[in-house]
Amino acid sequence: MKKRVAIIAANGGLFDAYKVFNIATAAAATEAEVAIFFTFEGLNLIHKEAYQQLPLPEGKEQIQQGFAQANVPSIPELVSMAQEMGVKFIACQMTMDVMGLTKEHFVDGIDVGGAVTFLDFAKDADITLTF
Amino acid sequence: MTIHVDLVVDAKGLTCPMPIVRTKKAMEQLQPGQVLEVQATDKGSLADIQGWAKNTGHQYIGTIEEGDVLKHYLRKANPTEVKEETKYPHVVSLEELQKKVENNEQVFILDVREEAEYVFGHIPGAYHIPLGQLEERLNELNKDETIYVICRTGNRSDLAAQQLAEKGFTRVFNVIPGMTQWQGTITKGGNEQ
Repeated sequence: MKKRVAIIAANGGLFDAYKVFNIATAAAATEAEVAIFFTFEGLNLIHKEAYQQLPLPEGKEQIQQGFAQANVPSIPELVSMAQEMGVKFIACQMTMDVMGLTKEHFVDGIDVGGAVTFLDFAKDADITLTF
Repeated sequence: MTIHVDLVVDAKGLTCPMPIVRTKKAMEQLQPGQVLEVQATDKGSLADIQGWAKNTGHQYIGTIEEGDVLKHYLRKANPTEVKEETKYPHVVSLEELQKKVENNEQVFILDVREEAEYVFGHIPGAYHIPLGQLEERLNELNKDETIYVICRTGNRSDLAAQQLAEKGFTRVFNVIPGMTQWQGTITKGGNEQ
Protein backbone atom coordinates (compact mmCIF):
# COMPACT_ATOMS: atom_id res chain seq x y z
CA MET A 1 0.00 0.00 0.00
CA LYS A 2 1.12 3.51 -0.76
CA LYS A 3 2.51 5.66 2.02
CA ARG A 4 0.30 8.62 2.79
CA VAL A 5 1.67 12.08 3.63
CA ALA A 6 -0.61 14.77 5.07
CA ILE A 7 0.67 18.35 5.20
CA ILE A 8 -0.82 21.48 6.76
CA ALA A 9 0.40 24.75 5.26
CA ALA A 10 -0.50 27.57 7.63
CA ASN A 11 2.10 30.19 6.76
CA GLY A 12 2.51 32.34 3.69
CA GLY A 13 6.17 33.21 3.27
CA LEU A 14 8.56 32.11 0.55
CA PHE A 15 10.47 29.86 2.94
CA ASP A 16 7.23 28.22 4.02
CA ALA A 17 6.31 27.62 0.40
CA TYR A 18 9.58 25.84 -0.35
CA LYS A 19 9.31 23.66 2.72
CA VAL A 20 5.79 22.63 1.82
CA PHE A 21 6.25 22.05 -1.90
CA ASN A 22 9.68 20.43 -1.75
CA ILE A 23 8.52 17.85 0.74
CA ALA A 24 5.27 17.34 -1.15
CA THR A 25 6.87 16.83 -4.57
CA ALA A 26 9.64 14.63 -3.17
CA ALA A 27 7.04 12.48 -1.41
CA ALA A 28 4.90 12.24 -4.55
CA ALA A 29 7.98 11.28 -6.57
CA THR A 30 8.63 8.54 -4.03
CA GLU A 31 5.19 7.18 -4.78
CA ALA A 32 3.40 8.50 -1.74
CA GLU A 33 -0.14 9.81 -1.78
CA VAL A 34 0.08 13.45 -0.72
CA ALA A 35 -2.49 16.05 0.33
CA ILE A 36 -1.87 19.60 1.51
CA PHE A 37 -4.40 21.54 3.53
CA PHE A 38 -3.94 25.30 3.02
CA THR A 39 -5.24 27.42 5.82
CA PHE A 40 -4.92 31.09 6.90
CA GLU A 41 -1.77 32.58 5.45
CA GLY A 42 -0.96 29.25 3.88
CA LEU A 43 -3.59 30.10 1.26
CA ASN A 44 -1.07 32.54 -0.25
CA LEU A 45 0.93 29.55 -1.47
CA ILE A 46 -1.73 28.69 -4.03
CA HIS A 47 -3.21 32.17 -4.60
CA LYS A 48 -2.88 33.03 -8.31
CA GLU A 49 -1.24 36.41 -7.70
CA ALA A 50 0.26 36.06 -4.25
CA TYR A 51 2.20 32.88 -4.98
CA GLN A 52 4.24 34.61 -7.66
CA GLN A 53 5.87 36.97 -5.18
CA LEU A 54 5.80 35.53 -1.71
CA PRO A 55 7.64 37.56 0.90
CA LEU A 56 10.97 36.62 2.41
CA PRO A 57 11.33 37.01 6.18
CA GLU A 58 12.23 40.56 7.16
CA GLY A 59 15.94 41.22 6.91
CA LYS A 60 16.53 38.16 4.72
CA GLU A 61 15.75 39.83 1.40
CA GLN A 62 19.29 39.27 0.11
CA ILE A 63 18.60 35.52 0.03
CA GLN A 64 16.50 36.12 -3.10
CA GLN A 65 19.74 36.08 -5.06
CA GLY A 66 20.72 32.78 -3.51
CA PHE A 67 17.54 31.17 -4.85
CA ALA A 68 18.35 32.40 -8.35
CA GLN A 69 21.98 31.28 -8.15
CA ALA A 70 21.16 27.82 -6.85
CA ASN A 71 18.76 27.39 -9.80
CA VAL A 72 15.87 26.53 -7.49
CA PRO A 73 12.55 26.16 -9.32
CA SER A 74 10.04 28.96 -8.77
CA ILE A 75 7.01 28.39 -6.56
CA PRO A 76 4.57 28.41 -9.52
CA GLU A 77 6.75 25.75 -11.15
CA LEU A 78 6.76 23.62 -8.03
CA VAL A 79 3.00 24.02 -7.68
CA SER A 80 2.27 22.77 -11.17
CA MET A 81 4.81 19.98 -10.79
CA ALA A 82 3.18 18.87 -7.54
CA GLN A 83 -0.25 18.88 -9.16
CA GLU A 84 1.05 16.98 -12.15
CA MET A 85 2.30 14.27 -9.81
CA GLY A 86 -1.07 13.97 -8.15
CA VAL A 87 -0.57 16.03 -4.99
CA LYS A 88 -4.00 17.01 -3.74
CA PHE A 89 -4.57 20.65 -2.70
CA ILE A 90 -7.31 21.41 -0.22
CA ALA A 91 -8.10 25.05 0.50
CA CYS A 92 -9.74 25.80 3.82
CA GLN A 93 -13.30 27.02 3.25
CA MET A 94 -13.57 28.83 6.55
CA THR A 95 -10.40 30.86 5.97
CA MET A 96 -11.58 31.71 2.47
CA ASP A 97 -14.86 33.01 3.85
CA VAL A 98 -13.06 35.10 6.45
CA MET A 99 -10.74 36.60 3.86
CA GLY A 100 -13.43 37.07 1.20
CA LEU A 101 -11.76 34.68 -1.26
CA THR A 102 -13.39 32.33 -3.75
CA LYS A 103 -12.11 29.30 -5.61
CA GLU A 104 -11.39 31.51 -8.66
CA HIS A 105 -8.64 33.32 -6.73
CA PHE A 106 -6.60 30.13 -6.60
CA VAL A 107 -4.72 27.96 -9.05
CA ASP A 108 -6.84 25.48 -10.99
CA GLY A 109 -7.45 21.98 -9.82
CA ILE A 110 -7.83 22.56 -6.08
CA ASP A 111 -10.46 21.20 -3.75
CA VAL A 112 -12.19 23.35 -1.20
CA GLY A 113 -13.11 21.76 2.06
CA GLY A 114 -13.39 22.02 5.78
CA ALA A 115 -11.21 20.63 8.49
CA VAL A 116 -12.89 17.25 8.27
CA THR A 117 -11.97 16.92 4.60
CA PHE A 118 -8.34 17.07 5.64
CA LEU A 119 -8.78 14.98 8.76
CA ASP A 120 -10.45 12.27 6.74
CA PHE A 121 -7.32 12.04 4.60
CA ALA A 122 -4.94 12.50 7.53
CA LYS A 123 -6.45 9.82 9.75
CA ASP A 124 -4.71 7.12 7.70
CA ALA A 125 -1.54 9.10 7.06
CA ASP A 126 1.87 7.60 7.75
CA ILE A 127 3.44 11.04 8.01
CA THR A 128 1.80 14.28 9.08
CA LEU A 129 3.62 17.59 8.81
CA THR A 130 2.77 21.17 9.69
CA PHE A 131 4.47 24.20 8.22
CA MET B 1 34.51 4.44 -18.49
CA THR B 2 31.12 4.19 -20.19
CA ILE B 3 28.55 1.85 -18.75
CA HIS B 4 25.74 0.70 -20.99
CA VAL B 5 22.44 2.12 -19.77
CA ASP B 6 18.97 2.22 -21.26
CA LEU B 7 18.20 5.84 -20.41
CA VAL B 8 20.14 8.87 -19.17
CA VAL B 9 18.55 11.66 -17.14
CA ASP B 10 20.32 14.99 -17.10
CA ALA B 11 19.55 16.64 -13.77
CA LYS B 12 22.75 18.67 -13.67
CA GLY B 13 22.38 22.10 -12.10
CA LEU B 14 19.04 21.19 -10.52
CA THR B 15 18.35 21.31 -6.81
CA CYS B 16 16.22 19.16 -4.56
CA PRO B 17 13.64 17.81 -5.24
CA MET B 18 14.21 18.01 -9.01
CA PRO B 19 16.71 15.14 -9.42
CA ILE B 20 14.24 12.83 -7.68
CA VAL B 21 11.28 14.12 -9.67
CA ARG B 22 13.19 13.58 -12.92
CA THR B 23 14.26 10.11 -11.78
CA LYS B 24 10.70 9.10 -11.06
CA LYS B 25 9.48 10.32 -14.44
CA ALA B 26 12.28 8.54 -16.28
CA MET B 27 11.69 5.29 -14.41
CA GLU B 28 8.11 5.25 -15.67
CA GLN B 29 9.42 5.00 -19.24
CA LEU B 30 11.58 1.94 -18.54
CA GLN B 31 10.82 -1.75 -18.59
CA PRO B 32 11.68 -3.92 -15.57
CA GLY B 33 15.35 -4.87 -15.64
CA GLN B 34 16.46 -1.79 -17.57
CA VAL B 35 19.12 0.51 -16.18
CA LEU B 36 18.88 4.26 -15.66
CA GLU B 37 21.72 6.74 -15.25
CA VAL B 38 20.93 9.96 -13.39
CA GLN B 39 23.45 12.75 -13.75
CA ALA B 40 23.26 15.32 -10.99
CA THR B 41 25.34 18.06 -9.43
CA ASP B 42 23.19 18.27 -6.30
CA LYS B 43 25.34 16.70 -3.57
CA GLY B 44 22.23 15.77 -1.62
CA SER B 45 21.12 13.54 -4.47
CA LEU B 46 23.58 10.87 -3.32
CA ALA B 47 21.57 10.18 -0.18
CA ASP B 48 18.23 11.04 -1.81
CA ILE B 49 18.56 8.57 -4.67
CA GLN B 50 19.36 5.76 -2.26
CA GLY B 51 16.42 6.63 -0.04
CA TRP B 52 14.19 6.88 -3.07
CA ALA B 53 15.24 3.46 -4.33
CA LYS B 54 14.68 1.91 -0.91
CA ASN B 55 11.17 3.31 -0.72
CA THR B 56 10.09 2.56 -4.27
CA GLY B 57 11.63 -0.92 -4.42
CA HIS B 58 13.92 -0.15 -7.36
CA GLN B 59 17.55 -1.24 -7.17
CA TYR B 60 20.26 1.33 -6.43
CA ILE B 61 23.39 -0.01 -8.10
CA GLY B 62 25.92 2.68 -7.29
CA THR B 63 27.29 6.13 -7.99
CA ILE B 64 30.35 7.32 -9.87
CA GLU B 65 31.72 10.78 -9.21
CA GLU B 66 33.20 12.58 -12.19
CA GLY B 67 34.35 16.05 -11.20
CA ASP B 68 31.24 17.88 -10.00
CA VAL B 69 28.88 15.38 -11.57
CA LEU B 70 27.40 12.44 -9.69
CA LYS B 71 26.28 9.60 -11.93
CA HIS B 72 23.76 7.43 -10.16
CA TYR B 73 22.85 4.02 -11.56
CA LEU B 74 19.47 2.46 -10.87
CA ARG B 75 17.76 -0.63 -12.17
CA LYS B 76 14.01 -0.85 -12.52
CA ALA B 77 12.73 -3.67 -10.37
CA ASN B 78 10.40 -6.35 -11.53
CA PRO B 79 7.40 -6.60 -9.19
CA THR B 80 7.89 -10.37 -8.92
CA GLU B 81 11.64 -10.15 -8.45
CA VAL B 82 11.67 -10.37 -4.68
CA LYS B 83 9.88 -13.67 -4.77
CA GLU B 84 12.28 -16.53 -5.14
CA GLU B 85 10.84 -18.65 -7.94
CA THR B 86 13.49 -21.17 -8.76
CA LYS B 87 12.81 -23.70 -11.45
CA TYR B 88 16.24 -24.86 -12.54
CA PRO B 89 16.96 -27.92 -10.37
CA HIS B 90 20.76 -27.86 -10.12
CA VAL B 91 21.76 -25.28 -7.61
CA VAL B 92 24.78 -24.55 -5.49
CA SER B 93 24.84 -22.35 -2.42
CA LEU B 94 26.68 -19.09 -2.47
CA GLU B 95 28.65 -20.26 0.54
CA GLU B 96 29.87 -23.32 -1.29
CA LEU B 97 30.91 -21.22 -4.26
CA GLN B 98 32.77 -18.86 -1.98
CA LYS B 99 34.75 -21.74 -0.49
CA LYS B 100 35.73 -22.91 -3.95
CA VAL B 101 36.86 -19.41 -4.88
CA GLU B 102 38.81 -19.01 -1.66
CA ASN B 103 40.52 -22.39 -2.14
CA ASN B 104 41.62 -21.17 -5.56
CA GLU B 105 39.74 -23.95 -7.31
CA GLN B 106 39.33 -23.44 -11.04
CA VAL B 107 35.72 -22.35 -11.22
CA PHE B 108 34.05 -20.69 -14.16
CA ILE B 109 31.56 -18.12 -12.88
CA LEU B 110 29.12 -16.56 -15.31
CA ASP B 111 27.66 -13.26 -14.08
CA VAL B 112 24.43 -12.47 -15.94
CA ARG B 113 23.57 -9.11 -14.36
CA GLU B 114 23.46 -5.82 -16.26
CA GLU B 115 26.77 -4.16 -17.05
CA ALA B 116 26.34 -1.39 -14.47
CA GLU B 117 25.77 -3.94 -11.73
CA TYR B 118 28.82 -5.96 -12.78
CA VAL B 119 31.05 -2.88 -12.94
CA PHE B 120 30.15 -1.85 -9.40
CA GLY B 121 31.31 -5.18 -8.00
CA HIS B 122 31.65 -8.80 -9.07
CA ILE B 123 33.44 -11.95 -7.97
CA PRO B 124 37.08 -11.77 -9.10
CA GLY B 125 37.44 -13.53 -12.44
CA ALA B 126 33.69 -13.79 -13.10
CA TYR B 127 32.82 -13.77 -16.79
CA HIS B 128 30.15 -11.28 -17.75
CA ILE B 129 27.27 -11.76 -20.18
CA PRO B 130 24.00 -9.95 -19.34
CA LEU B 131 20.99 -12.27 -19.42
CA GLY B 132 19.56 -10.41 -22.41
CA GLN B 133 22.65 -11.18 -24.52
CA LEU B 134 23.18 -14.77 -23.43
CA GLU B 135 21.51 -16.43 -26.38
CA GLU B 136 23.61 -14.64 -29.00
CA ARG B 137 26.85 -15.07 -27.08
CA LEU B 138 26.69 -18.80 -26.30
CA ASN B 139 29.76 -19.38 -28.47
CA GLU B 140 31.84 -17.64 -25.80
CA LEU B 141 31.09 -20.50 -23.40
CA ASN B 142 32.43 -24.03 -23.23
CA LYS B 143 29.84 -26.82 -23.03
CA ASP B 144 32.27 -29.18 -21.31
CA GLU B 145 33.10 -26.82 -18.53
CA THR B 146 31.24 -26.55 -15.23
CA ILE B 147 29.53 -23.18 -15.18
CA TYR B 148 28.32 -21.43 -12.05
CA VAL B 149 25.71 -18.86 -13.01
CA ILE B 150 25.17 -15.93 -10.70
CA CYS B 151 23.08 -12.73 -10.62
CA ARG B 152 21.81 -10.46 -7.88
CA THR B 153 19.23 -12.68 -6.16
CA GLY B 154 19.13 -15.95 -8.08
CA ASN B 155 16.26 -15.21 -10.47
CA ARG B 156 18.01 -14.07 -13.60
CA SER B 157 20.67 -16.75 -13.11
CA ASP B 158 17.86 -19.29 -12.85
CA LEU B 159 16.56 -18.21 -16.25
CA ALA B 160 20.09 -18.20 -17.65
CA ALA B 161 20.75 -21.73 -16.33
CA GLN B 162 17.53 -22.92 -17.95
CA GLN B 163 18.54 -21.31 -21.25
CA LEU B 164 21.94 -22.98 -21.10
CA ALA B 165 20.42 -26.37 -20.32
CA GLU B 166 18.11 -26.02 -23.33
CA LYS B 167 21.13 -25.38 -25.53
CA GLY B 168 22.85 -28.54 -24.40
CA PHE B 169 25.00 -27.33 -21.55
CA THR B 170 24.97 -30.13 -19.00
CA ARG B 171 27.25 -28.94 -16.23
CA VAL B 172 25.46 -25.79 -15.16
CA PHE B 173 24.71 -24.72 -11.60
CA ASN B 174 22.59 -21.82 -10.47
CA VAL B 175 24.15 -20.03 -7.50
CA ILE B 176 21.66 -19.19 -4.75
CA PRO B 177 21.21 -16.57 -3.51
CA GLY B 178 23.17 -14.03 -5.55
CA MET B 179 25.53 -11.13 -5.18
CA THR B 180 23.32 -9.40 -2.60
CA GLN B 181 24.60 -11.91 -0.04
CA TRP B 182 28.16 -12.31 -1.30
CA GLN B 183 30.64 -12.05 1.57
CA GLY B 184 33.88 -12.62 -0.33
CA THR B 185 36.11 -10.15 -2.09
CA ILE B 186 34.90 -8.28 -5.12
CA THR B 187 36.48 -6.66 -8.12
CA LYS B 188 35.23 -3.45 -9.69
CA GLY B 189 35.38 -2.52 -13.34
CA GLY B 190 34.57 -3.92 -16.75
CA ASN B 191 34.64 -7.46 -18.13
CA GLU B 192 37.68 -9.56 -17.26
CA GLN B 193 38.47 -11.39 -20.45
